[in-house]
Amino acid sequence: MAQRPIWPARVGWGLLAPTLCILIITGLLPFLYVLYISFFDWNVFAAQGVPLFVGENNYRRLVFDDDFLGALWRTVQFTFWTVTIELVLGFILAQSLVKNFVGRGIFRTIHTLPLMVAPIVVGAIWRLLTIPGFGPIPHYLQQWFGVDYNIGRIATHAFWTTVLMDIWHWTPFVTLTFLGAFSSLPREPFEQAQVDGASTLQIHFYLTIPMTMPIILTTLFIRIMDALRTVDEVWMLTGGGPGSATRYIGIHIWRVVFPKTDYGYGAAMSLLVLYFTIVLCWLLFIVMTGKFKQIQ
Amino acid sequence: MRVRRFLRNLLRYTLLAGITLFTILPLYWLFLVSVRSRVELFGAPSFIQTSVYIENYTKPFFSEAYQRYLLNSIVIATSNTILVVLLAIASAYALSRCRLAGEENIFFWTITNRMAPPAAFLLPIFILYTRVFTLGDAKMFDTHFGLILLYCVFNLPFAIWLLKGIIDSIPTEIDEAAMVDGAGLWMTLLQIIVPLAAPGIAITAILSWIFAWNEYLFAATLTSVHARTITTGLAEFVTVTGTNWGEMAAVAVVALLPALLFVALVQRYIITGLTFGAVRE
Amino acid sequence: MAAPTPTPVTAPTPTATPAPKQPPAAADFWGRAAAEAGLRGTTIRGITESIPPSKYAASVLAKEFEQATGIKVELETTSWDQMYDKSIKDMEAGTGIYDFVYIEQDIIYAYLSRNFLTNLTALLKEKPKLAAPDFRIDAFTSFINYFKDPKTGDLYGVPMEAFIKCYVYRKDLFEDPKIKEAYQKQYGQPLTPPTTVPDQYRRVAEFFTKWGKDNKIELYGTTVQAASGHPASFYEFVETILPSFGVYNWGINMETWKASVANGGQLNGARAKEALTFWLDMLKYAPPEAPSSTWDEVAASSAAGRAAQGWIYGENVVWIATDSSRSKVVGKVGVGLPPTYPGVLEEARAGKGYIGYYDGGAFGIPRTAKNKEAALLWLQYIGQPSVQPKWAAAAGRVVHTATFDDPLVREMDAKTGGYFTLMKTYGNLFAGAPPFPFHAQAREIVAPFIYKAIAGELKPGDALDQAAAALDKELPRLGYGR
Repeated sequence: MAQRPIWPARVGWGLLAPTLCILIITGLLPFLYVLYISFFDWNVFAAQGVPLFVGENNYRRLVFDDDFLGALWRTVQFTFWTVTIELVLGFILAQSLVKNFVGRGIFRTIHTLPLMVAPIVVGAIWRLLTIPGFGPIPHYLQQWFGVDYNIGRIATHAFWTTVLMDIWHWTPFVTLTFLGAFSSLPREPFEQAQVDGASTLQIHFYLTIPMTMPIILTTLFIRIMDALRTVDEVWMLTGGGPGSATRYIGIHIWRVVFPKTDYGYGAAMSLLVLYFTIVLCWLLFIVMTGKFKQIQ
Repeated sequence: MRVRRFLRNLLRYTLLAGITLFTILPLYWLFLVSVRSRVELFGAPSFIQTSVYIENYTKPFFSEAYQRYLLNSIVIATSNTILVVLLAIASAYALSRCRLAGEENIFFWTITNRMAPPAAFLLPIFILYTRVFTLGDAKMFDTHFGLILLYCVFNLPFAIWLLKGIIDSIPTEIDEAAMVDGAGLWMTLLQIIVPLAAPGIAITAILSWIFAWNEYLFAATLTSVHARTITTGLAEFVTVTGTNWGEMAAVAVVALLPALLFVALVQRYIITGLTFGAVRE
Repeated sequence: MAAPTPTPVTAPTPTATPAPKQPPAAADFWGRAAAEAGLRGTTIRGITESIPPSKYAASVLAKEFEQATGIKVELETTSWDQMYDKSIKDMEAGTGIYDFVYIEQDIIYAYLSRNFLTNLTALLKEKPKLAAPDFRIDAFTSFINYFKDPKTGDLYGVPMEAFIKCYVYRKDLFEDPKIKEAYQKQYGQPLTPPTTVPDQYRRVAEFFTKWGKDNKIELYGTTVQAASGHPASFYEFVETILPSFGVYNWGINMETWKASVANGGQLNGARAKEALTFWLDMLKYAPPEAPSSTWDEVAASSAAGRAAQGWIYGENVVWIATDSSRSKVVGKVGVGLPPTYPGVLEEARAGKGYIGYYDGGAFGIPRTAKNKEAALLWLQYIGQPSVQPKWAAAAGRVVHTATFDDPLVREMDAKTGGYFTLMKTYGNLFAGAPPFPFHAQAREIVAPFIYKAIAGELKPGDALDQAAAALDKELPRLGYGR
């Protein structure tokens, strides 16, 4: 929400203009195109060779498409676990890294490292670590604990490995944004609360979280959006297998659009997922801001 | 009291140590793979390495192609970050300090650019870049500028969102105080707001740079030979005749270095406990 | 053709070698033709997958070509997915980005059905001055027939790589007296590479897995390319296993475009179900990485010495057998025909079927290319006889019949346990992908059921039933069949 306006509107529009220009050209135009072709049955290698107008048929098919719905549900589960754990872990880590202590700079840099690794490489590393027969993790789990860890055969192993991989990769993002938020907090309320004898948990709940709520929400939503779109890492790690256990919606759409060249259907799918993401974020927004308004 | 403090420190260091181990292990393995020859990847995996198979590093980087990829990535990521930071500061400030018609909708719309799975959007962008945005024979396809512009779609909304939150928490009294002192728009922005928002800007810069640096799909589709980035170069290692894990790991390790450098440089601006506190009283 | 200087067999990664000396007439032609047509100074751009044959073309042949003609070749090497995606986008949208594209054998039919490619025969007739004297279509192996329009016989692509997916086994293990004795004792028969499926193959697989367990070594009875989620598994099933059981063309009836038995197809017929059951059964004799194995891991498992036998793509056989920086089983490799169901080999010999997969690709010119003439010169350059032997030695691919007899290739042949001899003698028993314009689409429809079968979510019979039904439902939507 904007504060009391200081500058006249035309100044604001002037500042905003370049951004809007770029986003309209690179964002809105493609979106309109995708919307347009989502009403067509267009597969590059269909016998008819040209797109056929089918109205809302693609969307209707999607509602009954088990593969699509299955992929969506799987992705929601994946997103739930990764985002929740990342937020909690990132919060704790950011708290630890805010106050100055010996070696803080090094810890901070180390913790940022996973974020700097390209998603393909993240998938590649975790594949190398976990591939049965060649990777160290299955090897030592078998040798030391007798555990048969096989992401190619056992669906739950594959699923939780993708969750673990995502946590490894993205927790630094949460840590960084929270760090930025905590660094900007004024000291006085916290010192006051400690003097008043509040416990750590109380300080977090009544001070830290409400004061950094905008950043928390931002981070939460960005993580949700990105987790829902995960493709590269999971593709490298499992290819969507075993079976369809890790075939998340990003991978599913990718395979529909690229190898299957089913552009019309893929477009409709993408827009449905976009809509779904918006609705999900909206609901969460209401819930989260409502809850913390209550506490205050 | 002393015991509690000791326990708390112990807890903190244990947690940090554990997380650090968890963070480093995969990266250590990446490094190990990068110094092993392909035959060494077979057999019992070991955490100790005595020899270094340096060909994994020399082969790609003595070839002109990967040097070019690395340079392209640096140019594109850095340029995009600068562009995004500048535009985001301006936009976030506008959204925070002015009342604009439909600003909430605009704000929301910018975010949705980042919400959809990108696969289906590649086709229109491909067409835009090869057919529509052309000047004579020159196309936006396979140019640095093309990618720099395109990455704004992901980085700008995110940057604006972050920075708006930060700027919103800077009280307007500060702006008004500056105006009273005779500062115009740019002075207020550059001399007052930017320094106060520095940690947020730093974080935004870091994250935008990393996203641009690591982006794969659009780079792969919209570049061919000249503007190819290091991430697309990495994907080239995965082939039908076997993934060259060693070289891929080596290239990945080298690709980490500019990122590390950038983060180390910008990190200094994330400092604790700013002057807000003073003003709030 | 000048005698190439013998070089030691190198790993199949390309190194720049000095240009072979060409006879004067041929050498003159390239420079002359380019200059006369005003092509000096043009740049052509192509796209291909980043595999050794293409890398060799980019790093060695392109430079020689530029020296000879003054035409610069910018070859974009990228991943398999991206290569397809960008070629298709370029040709579909008519943007003219690429002057030549890699055409894998399995996609040529799709490209032809959409008229994406330039007719090379017609172009050569139109521009006789650009026709190289050294470029002769009949010098190629029969693989080139895949790139001709079936109706007119006109050429649309110049082959640049070809391999067969053959049966590979550990010669050293099969010849080890102790192992032979144990096998004889257990089964009452001598140990030889199996020639039939399912029983002979299964026996050998079972034996070696047990041998590995009993002797506490990491040795398993067979490879299985069963990456459940990656098309590689689907491909091994339809390219290799199904044909060896006598089910061709993915079980799809080529007249009616139907797959289920009820509609005249074979995909869920008894033989196909037996094939899938057999293949999945082999998982118990395969190393633990089998359900994660794409062609990559299968080659790695084999090169690591973890499998006593298996089905391996030709491009991998070569380095597994010869490159000691990548393989632990150099010199221990034997090759053979894929074991087949009784009767299938005879069918193949009679021309009514095939026993395995003939893999490969060509370069072709999109119809929307901007520099067709320059690209035409390039295609002929890589298709000329003089560049073939070195290219074969570097990347293990053969597309000219004469290349088999070249001394360099003969040398490699001995080292690979006779792979090239196998390809030369029995190549005609292998076939490429069936002529489907909907190759990729059909794959995306059927593959998920195979993945589920591998993961145990579906029984093999049910998987094939559902796959056939799905095909029968979706192909008509694409305009094929009713």
